[in-house]
Amino acid sequence: MTASGGMESGQSALWEPHYHHDVIATRTLGFWLYMLSDAMIFAGLFAAYGVLSHTYNAAGGPVLHALVHPWTAYAETLSVFASVLAYGGVMVALKRGSREGVLAGLVAAFLLGALFVGLEVHEFAALFRMGIYPEGSGYLSAFFALVMTHGIHMAFGLLWMATMFFQVAAQGLTDKTVYRLLNLKLFWHFQAILWVLVYTFVDMRGVL
Amino acid sequence: MRVRQYGSVVCRIGRLVRSIAFLPLLLLSGCSAHSLSRQFLIFHPAGPLSGADMRFTVLDVAVMLGIIIPTAVVTTFFLLHYRKTNTTAAYDPTWSHSNVIELVVWAVPLLTVALLGYYAYRGTYAVDPFHPRLLKVAQAGPGAVPPRLRVDVITTDWQWLFIYPKQHIAIANELVIPRGATVDFHMTSATVVNDFFIPNLAGMIDVMPGMRTEQVLVADKLGTYKGYSANFSGSGFSWMGFKTRVISPKRFQDWVQSVQHVPLHMDYAQFNAFAKPTKNINGKTYEFSDVKGRLFDQVIEGVLKGRVYTTQLPPPGSA
Amino acid sequence: MVNVQGPWSPIFGRLSLGAIPDNPIIAGAFIFSVVLGILVLAYLTYADRWGYLWREWLTTVDHKKIGVMYIIIGLVMLFRGFIDALMMRTQQVLADGAHSPGFLGAAHGYLVPYHFDQIYSAHGTIMILFAATPILVGLMNVVVPLQIGARDMAFPYLNALGLWLTAVGAALIMLSLFLGDFSHAGWVGLTPLTELAYSPGVGTDYWMWAIQISSVGTTLGAANLIATIIKMRAPGMTWGRLPIFTWTALSTNIIALTSFPLLGVALGLLGLDRYFGTHFFTAGMGGNLMLYSDLFWMWGHPEVYFVILPAFGMMSEIIPTFSEKPLFGYVTMVAASFAIAGVSWSVWLHHFFTMGAGPRVNTFFSIATMVVGIPTGVKVFNWAFTIYRGRSRFETPMMWAIGALFMLLVGGLTGMMLAMPPVNYSVHNSVFVVAHFHTMLMVVVYGILGAVTYWFPKVFGFRLNEPLGKRFFWTFTIGTIMVFIPMYTSGFMGMTRRLDYLTNPALFPFEVAEELGIGFYLVSVYYFVRQLYVSLRDRNANRVGADAWGSARTLEWLAPSPVPFYNFAVTPRVHARDELVWRRGQGLDGVAPTHYEDIPMPRNTSVPLVIGAFALGLGFGLVWRIWWLTDASFIAIILTVIARSFVRDTDYVVKAGEVERIEKNLRQRAAEVARAGAAAGGIDVLRPRESSP
Ligand code: HEA
Ligand code: HEA
Ligand code: CUA
Ligand SMILES: [Cu+2]
Repeated sequence: MTASGGMESGQSALWEPHYHHDVIATRTLGFWLYMLSDAMIFAGLFAAYGVLSHTYNAAGGPVLHALVHPWTAYAETLSVFASVLAYGGVMVALKRGSREGVLAGLVAAFLLGALFVGLEVHEFAALFRMGIYPEGSGYLSAFFALVMTHGIHMAFGLLWMATMFFQVAAQGLTDKTVYRLLNLKLFWHFQAILWVLVYTFVDMRGVL
Repeated sequence: MRVRQYGSVVCRIGRLVRSIAFLPLLLLSGCSAHSLSRQFLIFHPAGPLSGADMRFTVLDVAVMLGIIIPTAVVTTFFLLHYRKTNTTAAYDPTWSHSNVIELVVWAVPLLTVALLGYYAYRGTYAVDPFHPRLLKVAQAGPGAVPPRLRVDVITTDWQWLFIYPKQHIAIANELVIPRGATVDFHMTSATVVNDFFIPNLAGMIDVMPGMRTEQVLVADKLGTYKGYSANFSGSGFSWMGFKTRVISPKRFQDWVQSVQHVPLHMDYAQFNAFAKPTKNINGKTYEFSDVKGRLFDQVIEGVLKGRVYTTQLPPPGSA
Repeated sequence: MVNVQGPWSPIFGRLSLGAIPDNPIIAGAFIFSVVLGILVLAYLTYADRWGYLWREWLTTVDHKKIGVMYIIIGLVMLFRGFIDALMMRTQQVLADGAHSPGFLGAAHGYLVPYHFDQIYSAHGTIMILFAATPILVGLMNVVVPLQIGARDMAFPYLNALGLWLTAVGAALIMLSLFLGDFSHAGWVGLTPLTELAYSPGVGTDYWMWAIQISSVGTTLGAANLIATIIKMRAPGMTWGRLPIFTWTALSTNIIALTSFPLLGVALGLLGLDRYFGTHFFTAGMGGNLMLYSDLFWMWGHPEVYFVILPAFGMMSEIIPTFSEKPLFGYVTMVAASFAIAGVSWSVWLHHFFTMGAGPRVNTFFSIATMVVGIPTGVKVFNWAFTIYRGRSRFETPMMWAIGALFMLLVGGLTGMMLAMPPVNYSVHNSVFVVAHFHTMLMVVVYGILGAVTYWFPKVFGFRLNEPLGKRFFWTFTIGTIMVFIPMYTSGFMGMTRRLDYLTNPALFPFEVAEELGIGFYLVSVYYFVRQLYVSLRDRNANRVGADAWGSARTLEWLAPSPVPFYNFAVTPRVHARDELVWRRGQGLDGVAPTHYEDIPMPRNTSVPLVIGAFALGLGFGLVWRIWWLTDASFIAIILTVIARSFVRDTDYVVKAGEVERIEKNLRQRAAEVARAGAAAGGIDVLRPRESSP
């Protein structure tokens, strides 16, 4: 169909009927932009950690090697990556259009992610029992703020996963659920990358 | 002494600036021109550091005006000449590009910034509060090395304490220094951030709790100068001024001796009482003898351990 | 949770009757606000406008209406900020010299220091974050989708959310006036003054949460605008044809997206200090108060370019239109915008040269700062060459644009002074700095006022009254000159900023001149309000066609004025940088599509408003430490978001027939306007038809 409807050809190109935007691509771009801003939050926190992570900032309190447990951190790393892998299963199932596969993948990724959060809660509980709190010193403040912000991101990811589970179960694989699953994938990978950074700059430094 | 020579150049520029700066002000005030011009504290340097600050101000403004004024004039001319009602002016409804103009338009500011950047580099090193090149150059010259005096500065809410550690004396809300001596300041705050500023003598430098900053100055001219905090620090901030008296070395000796005999003493406990929030509305000054040499370090250590001189909650909307 | 001074109860937190200030000025403001509020509510009820308000505005997702609401919030806050300025100036003129009188319990003037300090802190915060920023975001909202030929923003629902979060921030600040107090530590929140030990009241918390909540809104808006510009352009709208305002919108929102999170971190860590007793910015216990300055200014400096770049964009639209000539050096203009945005990231330290970093660091940041002068200078020169060999017309938008240009010259000159450390050491934190940044921010205000006048007819279909606009411009400009030029002088006299009492009586003449300037400002506000009133009253005589100025250039002027809710009935195809000029040149600017089709549109939704309401509860609960309210609001927000994600029919379709009917009506009206114009001597933009004031 043409818009010109009988006009001369010179004018026919003035308007563009049936012009549509790629909704999923726009939404994905939007999510990338959100992640950019989130990355800046972490940049700020890493900077704060960098500034406050001198022995001087511990004000006589505990420093890094008293705070990190290499084995717990290692287990946490494994669980994050296993969860990302399981989420890969969600994507594979999505390609196949299998709702059951998606649901199963979500459950697996959720459980592994929950394992991570559980380990971290356990780790912090142990620190609190030893009387090590964020209020102790600038050093501790920065340490807890950085690691906990990541942990809270993980917890929100889990909440999102649970929501997606019910949404996919109730509504199937629609435009909306699909783009959300794709964005969640980005988010989950992003959290894994951030964990690598936390692991490198906080935990490894505490061990070495 | 080279410091002196430098000073006289500064003075000449200062006179020039003054005579330009206060022209329009004559219209505004009934005061005599001279006394009003005196109010332009930073154009009346009484020492080489503030003199350099002023010199760079003048330089910077001169260079920038060299561009800003022609730009303003040309833009105004374009606006008026090419107004729509002027039917004789040329009109070129599609013209929007010229490589030559683009080149000039980028090159002119670029070169200017390069020039100003060079001055910025020179100036920053010249008056660097830790090791001002200006004084180093001056003191490397022939002649006697000027005596040095060390003063520790502590700000509280909202008073100044100047400690002369070698002399074991201190004075609050007033600073007394001998002419010609190089005065080294070590500064810290017991509470929040302040900013040490004596416009006629030295530029600003922050005074921060738990930290030590430094400033150096030499006063060439006898007199009394205004000093104050230039960084907002709470309710008493407006009254956080201190008089700076530059006196002759001889009188300074006398003054030190007289203070060494005053009845008020100052140790850390007494400092903590002194540091209670106080608005110095009446400009009170105090002198202390028998000041403990380690007081400055003790204050820093106390702050680092978390000591605060707290403020009480004022009733909402009032006080 | 740390313990706070004063009483606390689980139900009301720190809130008690004692929180209501007993100051007569505040009581007056309170009565004024209540009366105004009652009048507005009464009018809405009397005129039966509630349903209209709810359907057409509060639940809308239309980018133009959201933009207009942003602008209204911004103008109201601009007025509030002005009242603050008036109070500050009046205090300083009264409190000069040891013998100056004191009233209302103050030693000098009529404001006690603690109250005065809150006023400038509120003024700075409001003006930058709740006046300039919302108006700019609003204008970008209105204009950018139209300029690129899009139906709406990429995320209309998120757009509404951004608006309501901004409104919540503004509401919190207004609340602080009547319940509790506001921060006294400047708009920058000087550490460690903002720590609980030195600011034990709720003031700092109001400041912190108002900014925090609204800046989430701004960040969302930034992501939205970037996505819109990248993904929603009409066919043919290549990067090389993007209107310059859209370019500046893109560069500025990249700044916002990357810098606002740092503000979030700075305030978030400060919040941890104040609520959990951590030691990020305390002086002792291993804290580092300078870290706050770094984080804050890593946002704060980019923020000032965030507000100036769109203003540059507005000037770059207005000047060509009223010079009847294309913008000179389009490509370098774009490059300059991105250069400014890029360099803005590496200059933050110039706000604290005096902190005693070594000379090497100070020199680096000094030169980096001056480098911004290069692309800015390019912009100034390009505007001059746009005017060159053009035909300048001095209608109100052009007046504002020219005013902005001259402000930029003065502000730039003084900025270049401050950028040099030896100069900075003697004028840092003086009213010289205050004068510098007001001159610069005036570029923004002038740009905004020009842009509002310029695009007003696009949104509402009629032009604002010209003679009154001119009076507004001149009184405002005299006010600006009289307030801020003397400040440069008093800066050299060593007058520091944030003084509620001036020790030096020699400053008095300057203070008087500034107070007179405030008088001119007052008159200018009168003219502005009158301009709105008269224009609204005579709107039928001031109707305009699609191209409200007769010489407009870009795509948005192709859409009918006022723009229907779907913008372009059929997406336009773009052929040139100045599409309207291109079509006019081919004689095609009047050609309408002959065939219409169904348009899918997003449905209105109350969800953003509801989330906003909960965010208000969250902010209020945090300020007063009412934990149940905080927790409940937080959970409610999350549940609302989840619930919304389950909603499936978020869109509806406007039928082709309906579109055709609307378009026919619009064309008929445009024809009437043209005929009326012909009767009055043709739509000759040289002599816009004016009605007497
Ligand atoms: C965009 C930012 C902005 C704007 C526009 C302004 C505008 C003004 N400002 Fe402000 N100001 C700041 C940002 C801004 N300011 C900041 C950041 C600070 C620092 C705070 C701090 O120290 O922490 C500050 C501080 C500041 C001070 C404190 C100085 C000090 O520290 O000692 C003073 C004192 O005079 C002042 C005055 C003024 C005046 C007279 C105006 C005038 O130009 C106002 C003119 C405005 C009008 C005349 C209103 C027009 C209104 C309309 C058109 C709308 C009408 C609408 C309705 C009626 C609904 N400002
Ligand atoms: C819209 C806001 C805005 C803008 C655009 C600017 C632009 C600039 N600012 Fe300003 N500034 C503020 C708002 C703004 N500023 C605010 C709010 C503060 C204080 C906040 C507070 O403390 O509360 C501040 C403070 C501030 C300081 C710190 C002062 C202090 O506290 O000690 C400095 C120091 O370097 C500075 C410098 C500059 C410079 C160099 C520019 C440059 O970008 C200017 C560039 C423009 C030109 C140079 C003019 C045009 C160019 C030409 C005509 C070509 C010729 C030019 C050359 C050859 C260079 N500004
Ligand atoms: Cu900067 Cu201490
Ligand atoms: Cu800056």
